[in-house]
Amino acid sequence: MPHQCTNCGHTFADGSKEMLSGCPECGGNKFQFHPGEIPDDAPDDGTEEPPERPDTGVPSAVGKAAATVRDFVRDDSAPTPPPDDAPPSDEATPRDDATTQGGDAPETGGASSTGSRASDDADGHDSADETAADADADVEDTAQASARSEMVTDDDLPERPPSEGRVVKEPDADADEPDMAALREELNEQFESIKVLAPGQYELNLMELYDREEYIIALQENGRYVIEVPETFAGSDRREE
Amino acid sequence: MGLFADLRDSISAVTAKLFAGESEDPKRIGIYGPPNAGKTTLANRIARDWTGDAVGPESHIPHETRRARRKENVEIERDGHTVSIDIVDTPGVTTKVDYEEFLDHDMEKDEAVRRSREATEGVAEAMHWLREDVDGVIYVLDSTTDPFTQVNTMLIGIIESRDLPVLILANKTDLEDSNVQRIRNAFPQHETIELSALEGENMDEVYDRIAEKFG
Repeated sequence: MPHQCTNCGHTFADGSKEMLSGCPECGGNKFQFHPGEIPDDAPDDGTEEPPERPDTGVPSAVGKAAATVRDFVRDDSAPTPPPDDAPPSDEATPRDDATTQGGDAPETGGASSTGSRASDDADGHDSADETAADADADVEDTAQASARSEMVTDDDLPERPPSEGRVVKEPDADADEPDMAALREELNEQFESIKVLAPGQYELNLMELYDREEYIIALQENGRYVIEVPETFAGSDRREE
Repeated sequence: MGLFADLRDSISAVTAKLFAGESEDPKRIGIYGPPNAGKTTLANRIARDWTGDAVGPESHIPHETRRARRKENVEIERDGHTVSIDIVDTPGVTTKVDYEEFLDHDMEKDEAVRRSREATEGVAEAMHWLREDVDGVIYVLDSTTDPFTQVNTMLIGIIESRDLPVLILANKTDLEDSNVQRIRNAFPQHETIELSALEGENMDEVYDRIAEKFG
């Protein structure tokens, strides 16, 4: 039996509803999941998953809804029931709605449109379900599968918009900084080698004066320089002419 | 025709000699430093000692030297052999030039402004020379002032980045508050020689070091 109370060791069938209201034996609400058969003695390892399920109740609800949907699909029953069953899952939580619809919508669509598709889907799920022989196990597996898909889609759905939002924001924030850095560099580059504060008052950028190829030979008070153009420049000018 | 061929050969040989000779031309040593460190006094001292001529007028007013002045082929004799250098006295390098500082020296405003502009052009020229036209540097500092300045750090940095041979001269040792050690501490990676260019103190060592460094 896949689920076991970590407190008293009571075991439950996979997908059992008993667990939802706590362990009937001891009232414990921590359960351990064992994929295969478990001994009656309850080893207390792997307690990560059980706490989540009963605590939240949401995954189990989702699992239940998904399982019922799956069952309808599996049975190739009328297309109407799945939508009928979907609303309960909607009622459970909006999150469930998205996940169950996201995960199972294609399947229900396939079931409603053609039986072959539905059987294909069913086959696909059968292969997944092969791990468990019981009908209970089957239900549990679909719950597991949907829980897994739910986790994925859940992560995707809430994360994507924020992550996209972040992606939008972060580049802005990032872009701001590079822009500022670039601006500073640009300003530094543009910072004149000689800044005329007023006639007779100058600030000199020594590195710029050192770095520049052309040679300032005369200053004019209108802020212009007379510069000596390097020969290489003159040469290229001649070529251009 | 053979005559022309010979003539052409001899001309090309002479030309080759000329170009070969050019590489052995005197090294151009730039005398750099902040304004009023005594660069022109030193340049004049060196020029007078070895050529009999002066390089340019000295003054207590900053930026007296506003154009680089060159004294070519200064031959310095040390231990029987001669070291030939071109001395370039450069305007004092600074990041700010303000005509108002000249007004204290009994100068009309127009004259002060003109001097200020020329000094600025001179700094630009000195920096340009440092980039292209100098084979070595004598960096002159006033040993009575704090050597830890932006200009000194930047210029020494540029000189180091160009791998130019450099001598640091701690000038004005004749003054009471001269502190040579402060300069040695500021630039421990370079050789510092103390001197008074004005009084001619310790010039023998200066010439020894010049010959060693730039010979």
